[in-house]
Amino acid sequence: MNLLGSPQRGMNTFRYIKVALVLAFLIAVPWLWRDNRFITTVFISALMFGIWGVMYDLQIGYGGLINFGFAGFICAGAYGSALSAHHYEIDPWFCMLIGASASGVLGFLTGVVTLRLRGIFVGLATWFLAEVLRLTISNTPGYTRGMLGLAVKPLPDVYGLDFSRAALLPYYYLLLILVIIIFTIAALMVHSKIGLSFKAIKEDQLATETLGLSATKYKLINFTTACFFTGLIGAFYAHYIGILTPDATEFGVPRTVEVLTVAYVGGRGTLWGSILAGFLLIGFQEYFRQLGAWRLVMYGVLLISVMIYAPKGISSVKKYIW
Amino acid sequence: MTLEVDNVTSGYVKEVSILRDVNVVAKEGALTGIIGPNGAGKSTLLKTIYGYLRPTQGDVLHHGKSIKGLKPDQMLGQGIAHLIQGHSVFPAMTVEENLELGGWIIKHDRTALDRALAEVYEHYPILKNKRRMVAGAMSGGEQRTLEIARLTMTQPRTILIDEPSVGLMPKLVDTVYEEIVKLKELGYTILIVDQKVHKAVDVADYIYVLRLGQNSHHGPKEEFVDTIEDIIKEWI
Amino acid sequence: MEFSIFVQLIVLGLVRGSMYALMGVGLSLIFGIMEIVNFAHGELFMIGCYIMYFVAAMLGLPFPVGILASGIGLLIVGVILEKGLISTLRKKAGREWLMDSFVLTIGLMVIFQNLALIIFGAVQRGIPNLVYGQMVIGDVVFIYDHMVILSFALLTVGLLWYFVKYTSMGKAIRATSQHSEAAQTLGIDVSRMYSIAFGIGAALAGIAGALLITLFPANPNAGMGPVLKSFVVVILGGLGNIKGAIAAGIFVGLLEAFAVFFLAGGWQNVIVFSIVIAVLVFKPAGLFAPAGERP
Repeated sequence: MNLLGSPQRGMNTFRYIKVALVLAFLIAVPWLWRDNRFITTVFISALMFGIWGVMYDLQIGYGGLINFGFAGFICAGAYGSALSAHHYEIDPWFCMLIGASASGVLGFLTGVVTLRLRGIFVGLATWFLAEVLRLTISNTPGYTRGMLGLAVKPLPDVYGLDFSRAALLPYYYLLLILVIIIFTIAALMVHSKIGLSFKAIKEDQLATETLGLSATKYKLINFTTACFFTGLIGAFYAHYIGILTPDATEFGVPRTVEVLTVAYVGGRGTLWGSILAGFLLIGFQEYFRQLGAWRLVMYGVLLISVMIYAPKGISSVKKYIW
Repeated sequence: MTLEVDNVTSGYVKEVSILRDVNVVAKEGALTGIIGPNGAGKSTLLKTIYGYLRPTQGDVLHHGKSIKGLKPDQMLGQGIAHLIQGHSVFPAMTVEENLELGGWIIKHDRTALDRALAEVYEHYPILKNKRRMVAGAMSGGEQRTLEIARLTMTQPRTILIDEPSVGLMPKLVDTVYEEIVKLKELGYTILIVDQKVHKAVDVADYIYVLRLGQNSHHGPKEEFVDTIEDIIKEWI
Repeated sequence: MEFSIFVQLIVLGLVRGSMYALMGVGLSLIFGIMEIVNFAHGELFMIGCYIMYFVAAMLGLPFPVGILASGIGLLIVGVILEKGLISTLRKKAGREWLMDSFVLTIGLMVIFQNLALIIFGAVQRGIPNLVYGQMVIGDVVFIYDHMVILSFALLTVGLLWYFVKYTSMGKAIRATSQHSEAAQTLGIDVSRMYSIAFGIGAALAGIAGALLITLFPANPNAGMGPVLKSFVVVILGGLGNIKGAIAAGIFVGLLEAFAVFFLAGGWQNVIVFSIVIAVLVFKPAGLFAPAGERP
């Protein structure tokens, strides 16, 4: 499957073992501490931001697309799902799919309209798009409850699992399953011919196009896919957190910046880096909680340092440790 | 003033030398041409003379004084001006503004600046006529004239020219070389790096051939006039 | 609509417009000269607010001193940021400069906002007015504060215009943005020009922050609204197009004054932002760019 098939690049025994260890960690730890709600919530946050980081990385690291309106796609997924459940009595499990589709369609339309523009303009356009979405939700409280807050139904119980939010463990394992599926799809994508096209376009769009490759088509595939899955996790977020408000910290620039930091610290162009960065940064946040705003100052310093000194993020130190 | 390149070894990265033990002497008042195939190191040589690159060995002397590693404003202070390849006018500024910027290092001396401007307008009447015109609106040939005139604003003694004909329409190429010869007649020491071998030999007094980062042959123009074709064949 | 209301809205629109123009011009300048999309512009504005509060409210000095102090203070901050961080990134970045520098400024925004929160707390520190009172002509009310803001904004933009067009340093900065290599061969210190340009852009944001303290009290989030509006102005006017930024600022100011009058509260932003998106998609060079100019 891998044209670049040198042993370091493809999967080999060593890599399978590493992946297995990581999975074991992710599966076992919350189970072992299953009575500790705090640990469960931390793991859920870490994994959520991790997979959002992976999606952000898919767009910037592989597609060369700066999505500064990322929070808007989370918003589309969250509200898409929550509103469907709230107004139309649809099974919330199915609503999550609706939310993901809403985000995916939004991503597709956005892509069609902006992808032929220079990188930075894509960033600006998506930024304003997210703001328009957020403000529209805020301004239509009749339908969305706006800033009053929309209560979101928990997921209905399935297979005897209790999703009532009394215990959060089922939500964690649901998230883990979603993350594994999404990550696998993303990894397969970037290692396939499609991924090769992404790489070529990122290197030299003009040259690639002279070879007959439609850059816009591939950017669109990349962007839409990432938005769809971002929305899916956004929908998960809605049912998990239980209440949505179109606040800037929820679905505005601060949220996008959080995801962006995860992706940058994890290393652009390394999907797995974001998962690790998600855990590192959320863990960091919890550990330094009493420092209040200093944590965020450190975030900013971290982002700048990574920007200047370690563009490959965590993965540049990986070779010394793992 | 004579410009000497003395046993210079230079490159972009310390470990990889593009030029090795290169020697060039550009005699005062003469037009010296440097020719050579692609990759011979002509650009690197000019960059080393002009201070963008510091030679790892050897020295660059102007009128006996070492100028290696000097910054552009210091170079101009020593009387050396540099014309880069391709278009270099400031397109959204007027002809007069372009010329004034040419006199950047003497801007504090308004009289000297005005005098230099008057001299330029005398030598290049077409620029005087178009002094308020935006440089980007002029033709390619006029822009080149502006670039050359701009060079003279600080009254340099020595001028380095990198590939004068690049980016110009063929019929304008002759005009550019005419301008360069005019400069020589005004007494400037000129060092040209050129891809157009015929043109370079035509206008030069002395020629250096550079190959694979080292001196190949050199000599007065007369030695090269008849052997140009053979030299070019050697490179292929 | 009654004529007096119409005039009132025009006046209000011009005041807002001059304020947006001031914020947008600095951002556009920074982009035009250095190709940086400066997301930290709002924080530079915020620092201006705090300096003004310190000088005018705490030290009790006359407000023009506060404006001057903000301008000078931000000039220094801008130069330090450029020399310290931005030029370091410039040496390392290659083709990704635009996006990398954008993310750098995002990092700066996070740091500044939270440092302000730590040092000053979330308290809003405002000044009721710069000049007390108002003037009524016919049915139209002219609030002195607004008139002051308008005149200082025009003065500042006018000074900037003069600087960029007629002074030798202004010309050198323009030359550097048009052809930095040629500028270098003429002896212009290009890195110094970048530092000065960024400093000036920052100073403009700081002056806007100082001027607008009666409308935007000093607090850590003071920059968030202004940064959005600055980007609106710059996108509509064309990135790097100073004249465009001024025109766009006034346009947005007028548009908003009328929109707020006719529509309910939150919608004027949705309208303006939608226009921005449309411009980005259909005319990325801006509404006021010369025809055929590519971004």
